[in-house]
Amino acid sequence: MKLYSLLLSLYPARFREEYAGPLQQQFLDDYREARTAGERCKLWLSALRDLAWSIPIELAHELRQDLPHSLRVHARRPFVMAFTVAILALAIGGATGVFSVVNAVLIKSLPFRDPDRLVVLREFSGDNTTPEAFHKWRATSPYLDDAVQVFIADMNVGGLSVPARISIAQTSFNFFSALGTQPILGRAFAPSEDVPGNDGVAVIGYALWQQLFAGDPRVQGSKLLLNGTPVTIIGVAPPGFDYPRKTSAWTPTAFDLGRFPNKGAAWDPFGRLKRGVTFAQASQMYDAEVARHPREAWMSGFPPPKLVPLKVNLADQIREASLILMGAVGFILLIACANVANLLLTRTTERRNELIVRAALGASRARLVQQLISESLLLSSVAAVAGLAIAYWAAKFATLAQPAKLASQKYTILDWRVLGFAIGLALLTGVLFGVVPALVVRHLQPSGDLARMHSAAPRSTRLRGILIAMQVALTLILLAGSVTMGRSFLDLLDHGMGFRTDHLVAMSVSLAGTSEQSETRKSAYYREALDRLRAVSGVESAAAAYSLPVDNMFGVGTIKIAHRESRPLLSNRVTPDYFRTMNMPLLYGREFTAADTGRVAILSEGAAREVAEGPAVLGKKITTSFDKEPFTIIGVVRATRYFSPESKVMEQYTLPLSQNPPDYATFLARVHGDPKDSLAACRDAVQSVNRDVPVFNAETLDQRFDETVTVPRFRTTVFLFFGGFALLLAIAGIYGVSSYSITQRRREIGVRIAIGASAQGVRTMMLRQALWPIGAGMLIGLGGAAWQGRVLEHLLSSAPPVDIAACVASAAMLAAVAVVSIWTATSRVLELNPIEVLKSE
Amino acid sequence: MRKKHIPAPKDLLPLSSTLFHLLLALSDGERHGYALKREIARRTNGAINPGAGVLYGTINRMLEEGLIEESDERPDAHLDDERRRYYRITAFGRLVAQAEAVRMRELVRIADDAYGLPERA
Repeated sequence: MKLYSLLLSLYPARFREEYAGPLQQQFLDDYREARTAGERCKLWLSALRDLAWSIPIELAHELRQDLPHSLRVHARRPFVMAFTVAILALAIGGATGVFSVVNAVLIKSLPFRDPDRLVVLREFSGDNTTPEAFHKWRATSPYLDDAVQVFIADMNVGGLSVPARISIAQTSFNFFSALGTQPILGRAFAPSEDVPGNDGVAVIGYALWQQLFAGDPRVQGSKLLLNGTPVTIIGVAPPGFDYPRKTSAWTPTAFDLGRFPNKGAAWDPFGRLKRGVTFAQASQMYDAEVARHPREAWMSGFPPPKLVPLKVNLADQIREASLILMGAVGFILLIACANVANLLLTRTTERRNELIVRAALGASRARLVQQLISESLLLSSVAAVAGLAIAYWAAKFATLAQPAKLASQKYTILDWRVLGFAIGLALLTGVLFGVVPALVVRHLQPSGDLARMHSAAPRSTRLRGILIAMQVALTLILLAGSVTMGRSFLDLLDHGMGFRTDHLVAMSVSLAGTSEQSETRKSAYYREALDRLRAVSGVESAAAAYSLPVDNMFGVGTIKIAHRESRPLLSNRVTPDYFRTMNMPLLYGREFTAADTGRVAILSEGAAREVAEGPAVLGKKITTSFDKEPFTIIGVVRATRYFSPESKVMEQYTLPLSQNPPDYATFLARVHGDPKDSLAACRDAVQSVNRDVPVFNAETLDQRFDETVTVPRFRTTVFLFFGGFALLLAIAGIYGVSSYSITQRRREIGVRIAIGASAQGVRTMMLRQALWPIGAGMLIGLGGAAWQGRVLEHLLSSAPPVDIAACVASAAMLAAVAVVSIWTATSRVLELNPIEVLKSE
Repeated sequence: MRKKHIPAPKDLLPLSSTLFHLLLALSDGERHGYALKREIARRTNGAINPGAGVLYGTINRMLEEGLIEESDERPDAHLDDERRRYYRITAFGRLVAQAEAVRMRELVRIADDAYGLPERA
């Protein structure tokens, strides 16, 4: 019976007050009639069903009845209402927008069959060189049902009016069947088609089918030229399918990489877990398996092998960004709630007289609390509708701004989870900030309070203090985060890559499959292209390199000095003038010149130290892991970072490009003035050498550098934006409370001034009193900021450590803002005339 | 001052079956909620047997719309439980019940014209 009475408290106040008695009586009557345990069980089931059905109906009914009164209440103070709705709409909209991304990236399933069982075998070291060995391993795997070998490569595609490069996935035959995706036209690869010699077929992407063949259904059997090698099209992939990396076509050539002359990149194989094998078990088995295959020495710098769910692998960077956003938005939501609660508390205190009269006329506290909560729910619901519009734009922006790793995923708010999240958020915030004013009502004493209707409510003053402290603490945490992120980002830009990226333009070419690919033509092509590039007006110097910093095309090798092997180094090939163009000064010796026809090499400082100290290294002989003939060291340069300013400094050895010209190279030009202005002319100059050679990724080096700092920049922008927003909310909150306390304490201030206190003295006293909750909030905030720093370091691989100076600076900034807000708000004390105040009282 | 809108009986139609049965069950005089529930279950052979929450929700709506009213008259003290509330139908409630019955009669006539009605379904 007690439980039933407890459940009745879920009914809205008025209904409960009217009918709780008859409901209890009726339940008791039925209970007495139920003789057996089975009958009682049946009675309970039907009672629960009845409650589950009728409680929401009664709640909706009373909310609808409260609505007109709530509207009238809010209409009396339209500014407060508009301000509240705006703050909440921004907070709810932002949170919903971010959630739509989190939903797409981390919650919604991937467009593959049973995607939760798909795993990526990071840094796989098993035998994957022949189809026989790979498929034998796959068939006998104790934890995988299926496994797919994948390589990716950008290739030149023929048959287009403008030469273009597309991303190709070279896979084992079972790529499509393992993912559970079938071509919409034609067929996927057959089991024997990944055997070298048998593999001249391709499945093309939907977009390529539209672009090259105008969606012609008779495309099967047509030829596609990849790096000059023809393959037969056997199928078309479904629209939006571009796994593993914006892929436009798939070939079953994972074991026949020489088929297309290209420099492809190894991609981690993926597999499907066996039924009944958990991820943890599979992970253990994978670790044991890779431990049996020791890694080659040159791979020691790479991350260790690991089994990762495919979803996590795809969402890696976005996941990090989404978590930061979600955290920041959560803080903003809490701050907004504290702010709105404070505003509503002020309003409730203003309406105290109305509430006291209603209570004296018989309205129960529960009824008044319900009225206040329905008023706040009305506000949060209006805010949620406005917030959905903001979320729509936020999701649209996220689709544009996020890395296109998941190009087949679109962020949308038209998903039941996202809409449910927004509704849930509206209800939660409505109740959260509605409960605080309701606390005041809970302590109303109609009989006593009727006599003291016009005096201030001490409880609400204390509550306001707590709310301000909470707001200050949360704001400080966000501010400290944004200052730390901002500082570390500036540091990042400051130390940069170890070379200057300004005034440089870069563009890449691939000779694969073109008439320039032959060994005899390559050198001539590069020479001719460089001559034309140097002739462009504004170009100061030009060079070409196989691998450029901030490019993901690189080679790794070792050097041998008198039979002693060095640690793994980056290997590169460059033309004369490379180091001058890159503005990388030589520490000793000289750089390559056109006259260098012999076997010469330039080492970075750390690599050179493995041979000899200082200038003594010049003239020494080394061999490389790819070549037995020795090279003579002619220069030493300072090592640079290679992939991003966050990466480690990489030691390297550099050989002349002319020694063994590659199919792929990047041209570089140092120009006068804005490099963007020279970009088109430089690209045209290289393109003019041979129209069939695609020139791609034409960018300034600053642009390439910018791409490497996308994640830290995004992180910093998010924190700065939300930190600023929180600060604004804090100013509004502190100003509002201080301003209200003047109205509340008019009489007391009047008396103080009347008995001799100066207006400035009163103002200072008010400042001192208002600073108490702010000080308390700051102490909590500082602790929170340190905790947040540790959480961020734990969550994000590249998060900057907690910056104590940043925390103190943020606290100082917040304190200054608080003092100015309070001082401005209390300026009205100066205008107060004590005689008038006392008269009016 | 705003005038309260007084609905016509037709404005409230069609009635939910629970509500209609409640109006019919009150034709014999005043009853408390539990007695109403049992009477409805008896009349419909248990086909309609509203739970307490649904019953009092409907009663609440009927009171608000003026279809029934609470009765002050109580039975003898030894037969009564003070937590029980007694209800009786109002004149407006009678009109609404009649209007619903007429609506149903019309419906039956149309069905009869369309398909003919067997003696027993």
